[in-house]
Amino acid sequence: MTETTVILALVVVTALGFDFTNGFHDTANAMATSIATGALRPKVAVALSGILNLIGAFLSVEVALTVSNAVVRIQNSDGTPKEALTSDGGTALLLIVLAGLVGSIVWNLFTWLLGLPSSSSHALFGGLIGATIAGLGWAGVNWNGDGSKLDGVVGKVILPALMSPVIAGLVAAVGTWIIYKITVGVAARFTENGFRWGQIGSASLVSLAHGTNDAQKTMGVITLALIASGEWTDTGNIPFWVKASCALAIALGTYLGGWRIIRTLGKGLVEIASPQGMAAESSSAAVILASSHLGFALSTTHVATGSILGSGVGKPGAQVRWRVAGRMVAAWLITLPSAAVVGALMWYIGDLIGGLGGALVIFLILLAAAGYMYWHSRKTPVDHNNVNDEWDEPAERREPAGTAA
Amino acid sequence: MSNLGFALEGAWKVLLAGLILGAGLPALFAVGIRSMAFGAGGDAEVDHAPPHPIGRLVAYVLFTVVVFVALLGITFIVASGFGKTISFDHIYPTIVDK
Repeated sequence: MTETTVILALVVVTALGFDFTNGFHDTANAMATSIATGALRPKVAVALSGILNLIGAFLSVEVALTVSNAVVRIQNSDGTPKEALTSDGGTALLLIVLAGLVGSIVWNLFTWLLGLPSSSSHALFGGLIGATIAGLGWAGVNWNGDGSKLDGVVGKVILPALMSPVIAGLVAAVGTWIIYKITVGVAARFTENGFRWGQIGSASLVSLAHGTNDAQKTMGVITLALIASGEWTDTGNIPFWVKASCALAIALGTYLGGWRIIRTLGKGLVEIASPQGMAAESSSAAVILASSHLGFALSTTHVATGSILGSGVGKPGAQVRWRVAGRMVAAWLITLPSAAVVGALMWYIGDLIGGLGGALVIFLILLAAAGYMYWHSRKTPVDHNNVNDEWDEPAERREPAGTAA
Repeated sequence: MSNLGFALEGAWKVLLAGLILGAGLPALFAVGIRSMAFGAGGDAEVDHAPPHPIGRLVAYVLFTVVVFVALLGITFIVASGFGKTISFDHIYPTIVDK
């Protein structure tokens, strides 16, 4: 077993670890509203979402090998790694990818600890960008594309991040407002029951779309690492074990459930009722599907949060906790740069020590950071038992949505 | 064209599709529920009108439409995974190569 093989193994394990955090970070996107309104019991919701993510991940047979090309220049346009990075058996590229993944996971865990729904795709791109800047300099990053299509950090990450929550919020607000207008005067037993079913259906659609969208990013990263180290040569396909393990990792992560984030999205932002839940999930599903059809890259997290916020704005007399919303937006803004800083730092540490030792050290740093954050989370545990408890932030002034929006 | 131009071009299409499917379908569903209550009559609505059997029928038709479009959405996800897309060239949806 050569040094490169060991580093490759570390990259694969770390990538699957990222996929796992991607899963539990995003359970809330699909299921927070169904859990909050009681349409599904918490454990049933995460199980359903996990299964749909698993199915979704297997359905994503489209090759996502060039996923990193939108933001960093470590691959050629056909998906093979740049020759300069593989001259030493691939170690240079593997170190960039490993450092980037460590940055992504650390940031994902940190925002989970704070209960903030930050974007996993931003964390992944941020980590890779940071590690690439450290390893190859500023020119290694594809900032703006070549002007022929939507591309680069600006086109694929920043602009969609600014626009997608607004679009989703608008759609959900319009949907919620119409639903309440239409069902004025209908007895609650009809609306509650009916919209719960609508909610379960639309949330399932979001889960399925999430599996197809997000799992393939990790599949692409692992396959890139395999090609760089000479273990795989076919740029048109992904090894089956990569697909299966990524699908399992994201499904298990989803099933574990990021209860802290589910709580924030389901209870913290808006007091949600089932008609709002259905409007929010339908908006998310429609926006995610329409975007992927049009090649408009976006983060499911941003869409889901925008939708839930919109459903609060659209319901007459509903309350939106704008302070919680503000904290979320702040987390979105700093996700990419923060993951980039951690990714860059990891690359410098790995490069300083060099070779297998360097890779091992940053892997151990990851384990230590993850262990510390898990330990910290146990002090104020949030799980399926208390996820729906009343949200009380005594210092906060609640504003009716009508005046604040 | 700049990135901003491309992004805005994509954004309004997503908004349009979002409003039709993401707000339109829930609205249709809401009409279905309203119609269901209209069909049941009595204390299902605040005006305590007598039952109207036609309401129930309309409700089931509307629910069927909503479920059909949602299934179309799932078909779209599955199809795009296999490099296919859904075409509406023949009015009714067909699965074609991308």
